[in-house]
Amino acid sequence: MLLWVTLALGYNFLFGICGQVSFSHFAFYGIGAYSVVILLFQLHVPLPLAILLGVAICVVVALVVAIPSARLEGFYLALATLALAQLFVVLLNEGGEVTGGTGGIASYRLPAIFGMQLRGPWYTAVIVALLLATYFILRKLDHSWFGRACRAVRDNPEAAAAMGIDVARTKVVAFTLTSALAGIAGMVYAFVDNTVNPPIFGVENAFLLLFMVIVGGSGRHAGAAIGAVLLFLLPFWLAPLVGHHHVLVFGVLMLAAILLQPKGLIGIWDRFSR
Amino acid sequence: MGSILEVRNLSKRFGGLTAVSELDFEVREGEILGMIGPNGAGKSTTFNLIAGAYPASSGEVFFKREPILGLPPHQIARRGILRTFQHNRPFQGMSVLDNVLVGAHRLFNRNTRDEETARRVRAQELIEFVGLGDLAQADVGTLSFGQGRLLEIARALAGEPRLILFDEPAAGLAPAELERLAEIIRGIAARGIAVLLIEHDMHFLLPLAHRVVVLNFGAKIADGLPDEIRRNPAVMDAYLGSHAPHP
Amino acid sequence: MQDFLELAVSAAASGCIYGLIALAYLLMIRPTGIINFAVGEWAMVAAFGGYVLLTKYELPYPLGMGIVLAFMLVVGWLTERVAVRPLVEKGATLLAPILALLGVLVITREIISISFPPDPHTVPFPFEIQYHKYFIIGVTFAVFAGAWLFFEKTLWGKSFEAVAVNRRAAALMGINLSRVTSLSFAAGAAVAGLGGLLVSPNISAHYLMGVPLAIQGFTALVIGGVGRVEGALLGGLLLAFAEQFTVRYAPIPGGFAQGVPLLFLMIFLVLRPTGLLRARA
Repeated sequence: MLLWVTLALGYNFLFGICGQVSFSHFAFYGIGAYSVVILLFQLHVPLPLAILLGVAICVVVALVVAIPSARLEGFYLALATLALAQLFVVLLNEGGEVTGGTGGIASYRLPAIFGMQLRGPWYTAVIVALLLATYFILRKLDHSWFGRACRAVRDNPEAAAAMGIDVARTKVVAFTLTSALAGIAGMVYAFVDNTVNPPIFGVENAFLLLFMVIVGGSGRHAGAAIGAVLLFLLPFWLAPLVGHHHVLVFGVLMLAAILLQPKGLIGIWDRFSR
Repeated sequence: MGSILEVRNLSKRFGGLTAVSELDFEVREGEILGMIGPNGAGKSTTFNLIAGAYPASSGEVFFKREPILGLPPHQIARRGILRTFQHNRPFQGMSVLDNVLVGAHRLFNRNTRDEETARRVRAQELIEFVGLGDLAQADVGTLSFGQGRLLEIARALAGEPRLILFDEPAAGLAPAELERLAEIIRGIAARGIAVLLIEHDMHFLLPLAHRVVVLNFGAKIADGLPDEIRRNPAVMDAYLGSHAPHP
Repeated sequence: MQDFLELAVSAAASGCIYGLIALAYLLMIRPTGIINFAVGEWAMVAAFGGYVLLTKYELPYPLGMGIVLAFMLVVGWLTERVAVRPLVEKGATLLAPILALLGVLVITREIISISFPPDPHTVPFPFEIQYHKYFIIGVTFAVFAGAWLFFEKTLWGKSFEAVAVNRRAAALMGINLSRVTSLSFAAGAAVAGLGGLLVSPNISAHYLMGVPLAIQGFTALVIGGVGRVEGALLGGLLLAFAEQFTVRYAPIPGGFAQGVPLLFLMIFLVLRPTGLLRARA
């Protein structure tokens, strides 16, 4: 669950703060996860190098998508990322030997780091560290001139350019950065259950991520976190009522959020604490 | 005082239509140059050419002796030319203070806490200079039209421009607001910043500008002091039927 | 040669379906600028409608089709009323209805998946199945001819164009914006529904069929360009031909066929986002 919050924070920066609609966040999560697993266990690359290469791959793919889209209207990016997400799943399914096809890859173990085997509660610590690191990085960016530039680009790109902001570059950097963060989260994810398979990285979850951020309150870190936690726990609470169809509830919540309270749950909280 | 902006032989054609034709003028530091002309005279096009919105068909524009024609808007801004928009364009998701801070974007180079604080203080000063003092933390959605206009100005000033371009700043303002606007613009020029002001409203512009350039059908038809322009028959002809100037 | 012809017909039929979905998008995008990804789910709803009326209740084909299409008109109108109108009236940005429609997409899909068992449901075709492809092609051409006539010749069509070019000016000229919007959504739903009905004898109604159709339809639109009605059909045909001929003659595994529209989408977005055909000036 903490990983979802991590992802939500990153996505919130891209969508809520930079105003870029993207469906590929989970694809990068997957690219990170699969890269590290394939590099480690099929190509036998040492762990530190595998991590670096995994990040590099994410960065390259992100640049390929972001650079051409940056010059076009926002929805072109949305489409390109949608296509990327679907394409990624197709590649995974058809990847045969390399990606383990539809079944994915399983039963590997994280190699020892500095002689330590990280398992169980120790690994949870890693996840928490990742979450905190992501939060701090994003928060620092948010409060810096870069964060302001992102918001300016989101609100009014023409005015932003007139103030000296290189709109295309800002968009590309934001996209690449958040995608790389998602990739790193993916790498951490790979060792949680020690299995990776295609369905997790598809468009479904990308929609859910978007919904989470909107329901929680886009543009605010706390909002993203609340949205993530809520949407993660909701299925468990709702199971007795609607079984597997919790996605329906998410859809309704999201629609309600957009129609009624675009600032999300965080907006409601703000109103009460005033 | 030297020229900071020189426009030479500037022309712009859109398909078969010549919007601007062989325009020549300059703006000096600390000077308010007004550009007037009837609707369709080419003022906005000229403005947009200088601001980098689209490329020119021919001609040159020099800023601080360096050619800038054809550069994209953000690079023009980086060199020290900032502008306001005729239809206010605030950043809606941010407070007034943050809006002004974005204006200072070109000045940020090291992301230190001190720099940020210093810029905030400066931004607050500017907000007070334009008369929006108490509204620094307000959401821009709550501003009136006139206040939004003042925000545009504060934002453009935040970047410490050497040249500021005003796009019909008087449009839509009430008389009291116009007074304030004129005061602010004079204050800006007094600081040594060059001002290029395009305006439709002669009553506002002529008392304010140091020099005036008059356009009609894309070409310059007069260039001189406001009093000369007032008496210039060609100018009166151009405006006849739409907006006759007071003698 | 026979093989080639069969493939060509098959591709043409698929292309027509993509074209119809693309047309559905176009009908909504032109006056409002809103990209409605839920068109795929609309097609699915119609397919399920076909299943219910034609398979379960065994109504005659024209009647079943007519009822489903009428139903889709209502669905489209309702969607606009609930998810789009309130946002437009509030003055929200274009992004808001697009996101809201994503919510509608998910909600629609889940409702269908709750209401029916998860296996694919067959939808029958009243004539010999080999004529099905020609039927698709014929109906599609008729629809496109109708759409073209509508936009070129009728007053309503011109008012759509006017709204597409400049909303405010159109409103000032007395064109009823909200009526145009409602109509465009209703029509979009009907066209998407038609696509769903036509394709379902081939692939059976299934609750996951929406998103792939939505992507293929959108790719067709990007290829053909939003400016002209014919573009949608052209885009669809090009896409289908590329897809099917690649799968048949290129030495890559079948699963990758799904990747072809996506690859095309990305390529076109990068190289020629405005599509092949330009709008008439």
